Amino acid sequence: MTLFLSYVVLGLVTGCVYALISTGLVVTYTTTGIFNFAHGAIAMIAAYTFWQLWQGWHLNVVLAVALVLVVLAPLFGLIVERILMRPLEGAPIDLTLVVTLGLLLFLVGLSNLIWNQQVGRALPEFFHGNGFDVTGLLISYEQVVAAVSLIVVAVGLRLLLTRARAGIAMRAVVDNADLLAMAGGRPIRVKQMSWALSCSLASLAGILLAAINELSVLDLTLLVVDGYAAAIIGRLRSVPMAIAGAIGIAVGQSVLFGYLPQTGFTDRIQNIIPIVVLFVVLILLPQSRLRTASFSGVVPPRVAGLRSSLAVGAALIVGAAVVSTGLSGNNLRIGAQGFALALVLLSLVLLTGYGGMASLCQMTFVGLGAYAMGHVAHGGSWLGVLAAIGLSAAVGALVAMPTLRLRGLYLALATFAFAAIMDSAFFNESLGTGGSLFIRRVRIPGIPTQSDQAFFVLTCVVFVACAIGVLALRRGPFGRRLVAANDSPAACATLGVNINSTKLIAFTISAGMAGLAGVLYGGSPGAVSSADFASLVSLTVLLLARVGGINTATGALLGAATLTAFNVAAPHFPRLGELQYLLTGLAAISVGRDPNGISGRIANMIELFRAAGPRRGPGSYLAGTPAAAFIAEEGDRLASPAH
Amino acid sequence: MIGLPAQLTEPAPTSPPPDARPVLEVHGVSVRFGGIDAVADVSFAALAGHVTGVIGPNGAGKTTTFNVITGLQAPTSGRVVIDGHDVSRLPPHKRARLGVARTFQRLEVFGSLTAYENILAAAEFHRSWSRERRAPREIAAEIIAQVGLGSVVDARVDSLPTGLARLVELGRALATRPRLLLLDEAGSGLSHSETEALGDLMLDLAASGMAILLVEHHMELVMRVSSRIYVLDFGRVIAEGSPAEIRTDPVVQAAYLGVEEPAP
Repeated sequence: MTLFLSYVVLGLVTGCVYALISTGLVVTYTTTGIFNFAHGAIAMIAAYTFWQLWQGWHLNVVLAVALVLVVLAPLFGLIVERILMRPLEGAPIDLTLVVTLGLLLFLVGLSNLIWNQQVGRALPEFFHGNGFDVTGLLISYEQVVAAVSLIVVAVGLRLLLTRARAGIAMRAVVDNADLLAMAGGRPIRVKQMSWALSCSLASLAGILLAAINELSVLDLTLLVVDGYAAAIIGRLRSVPMAIAGAIGIAVGQSVLFGYLPQTGFTDRIQNIIPIVVLFVVLILLPQSRLRTASFSGVVPPRVAGLRSSLAVGAALIVGAAVVSTGLSGNNLRIGAQGFALALVLLSLVLLTGYGGMASLCQMTFVGLGAYAMGHVAHGGSWLGVLAAIGLSAAVGALVAMPTLRLRGLYLALATFAFAAIMDSAFFNESLGTGGSLFIRRVRIPGIPTQSDQAFFVLTCVVFVACAIGVLALRRGPFGRRLVAANDSPAACATLGVNINSTKLIAFTISAGMAGLAGVLYGGSPGAVSSADFASLVSLTVLLLARVGGINTATGALLGAATLTAFNVAAPHFPRLGELQYLLTGLAAISVGRDPNGISGRIANMIELFRAAGPRRGPGSYLAGTPAAAFIAEEGDRLASPAH
Repeated sequence: MIGLPAQLTEPAPTSPPPDARPVLEVHGVSVRFGGIDAVADVSFAALAGHVTGVIGPNGAGKTTTFNVITGLQAPTSGRVVIDGHDVSRLPPHKRARLGVARTFQRLEVFGSLTAYENILAAAEFHRSWSRERRAPREIAAEIIAQVGLGSVVDARVDSLPTGLARLVELGRALATRPRLLLLDEAGSGLSHSETEALGDLMLDLAASGMAILLVEHHMELVMRVSSRIYVLDFGRVIAEGSPAEIRTDPVVQAAYLGVEEPAP
């Protein structure tokens, strides 16, 4: 009994931390409509900052805590609100996602740069491990602190929202920001406050987590993700539900952890229980109402015609063939992997660029493709290629089916959870941690695919063929259907379209394409390891697609080219690798202001050269859209009462 | 401009002929948002070959009723019957496949497609679930001419002015060859002559056997084309009858028309 109780107490403590995390998420989501994927990273960097102040610079512990929670974290929240979030007002969901993910990656990169991860760091116990005894059960003062923090936060938040003027304004923003503004309130002030508050809550959670666990950039960032499940249980709205969910999940996890055998499969999955809960809760959510048209006002570049895509494709292949003669074997392999990556990004052009669905598990499909290629018919067989496409497509369909009926954010979260689950439960096991799976290149009669040069050109040809195919798909009936389902799901449904099946087809094709990319991605270096398909890599891939330009095939190529350039340059500049996350994150953050990415910029420039009239610049979210027309019309109506 | 020649005199039928069958029946539909009855026990019917008008002040529950009929909003209680089938439990796309199409008061165009592509897409959708075998391109070209969008076919719809975007929505609805067409303020944003032409088009469509349900603030248009009018106020049907009856109904005048102008 005492054993059981001690597991429960352990769980309660973790639960309090999860609850703090989910409360912070709910606060920003309800007031600003943005789900902050970087919440975990903020908690992580706060914990490191605290370590630096306390252990690094030997500040008084209370002073250090106060400095982080009351000064630095709110300040950081204000900066984030001003620079990143404010321009996202009214932006589509996948754009807000990319910006917060960019922030996540940026913070991870920044921490890696400042705090060398090779050096172990730990926070000493706050109370020298002291505690007190309750009927044979040892309760440490740290555990008491965690519980007290949660109670203080919960009660404080309740008082703030119901009693304080600022809190009432916060609730008003949730209901209707425009009305609040008209009544003399200041929605911006409220949003600033909620970001500041949310960052403080994240920091508190981060410090408590770091005190319980070890300091590690990735572990802390991802541990915080465990709190996301609780936030979803509260439907991102209800703080009490989120707190209850958090404690339930953590106690359950702790008790299972105590009683399940500490070996084999059960051991590996124990850590991902919250993520599994997240996935299950998402699946159980009721169907959301069909979204009506959202006018993002972002005008994507024109879709290339068949003739121009054929011409550009042929030029690219010829160019690759010519360049290949002058490249070293190593660079040819990196280049081939670059084209494979471009194919992954292309699968996101179809899914996210055209269909508006964000997938955070694209590298998982790549990994499944590589896995199939490595195993079927002893590797190197055509059957392996087919199996790779088939396996990824089938798994993609299975993941998407239960979640497609939900809003875009939930689909993104479900794919994120899926990537994390596969990360721990499959890739680490099947490929071994740090171990490798050998992947032989496919044998094609007449083409010496074993030669790096031939393989380089081959991957380029595959990419070009797929790009032409995706563009043709976009110009045809299915493309119109997919774009229509994204522009206005409600209108689509009333025209007899089964939106869920349209989305499902797109998701399946996209996953299959990622599977094909896996064949090439693994075949180029000849081996893959579980690190290639970690969930953080999937995030990077989505961000790269955005940076390159998510609605054109050119954008996919450009996005992959940036990473490939990194890989080519890395051996010559040893510190460059450390900057990769930092720079990718930074670039993704900038996408918030320039949604069409690099390829959109280029398309704009070409249009300017053609001197085709004035073009809308990025950033004018509403100009010339039906939204603007609607406002104009409503204005008319207001001016002239009833016809 | 709408492409049809303006027909000068085509009086609306005053009373439904005895053989007209209801394509749509709404039975006691209520929608409750929190503590507010957006729609309360509303019943009405729309007959084949007729334009049925639904009028009422802003917030009377007209658009919510449309959303209930098309399945975008689940009612708290009540039934929707189309061609004798109870569709209350069907999702929106299955109702559309029974021949229901609509336009939206707040535009729901496919903004990143051109006007032509909007209508082409709808024709393609229709072909995919119906027995229609004519080429979608052919149908789209026909409808472009019918609703008069010839001059803007290649413009992205999110750059069109509201009036034209509404015509795109109308064309898109027509491309699915509906038997029941729900028009939610199709006339707002149109000029006087365009409104006239829209009225002519509605009468033509009705004459071909279509049932049209029209929500409209433009009283002249409603009175001209409707054979029967339902008046909603605070979510309830407060009056129904022919245009002439509605004009003189004291309850309606008090609730709605009286504010604007006395009946002639």
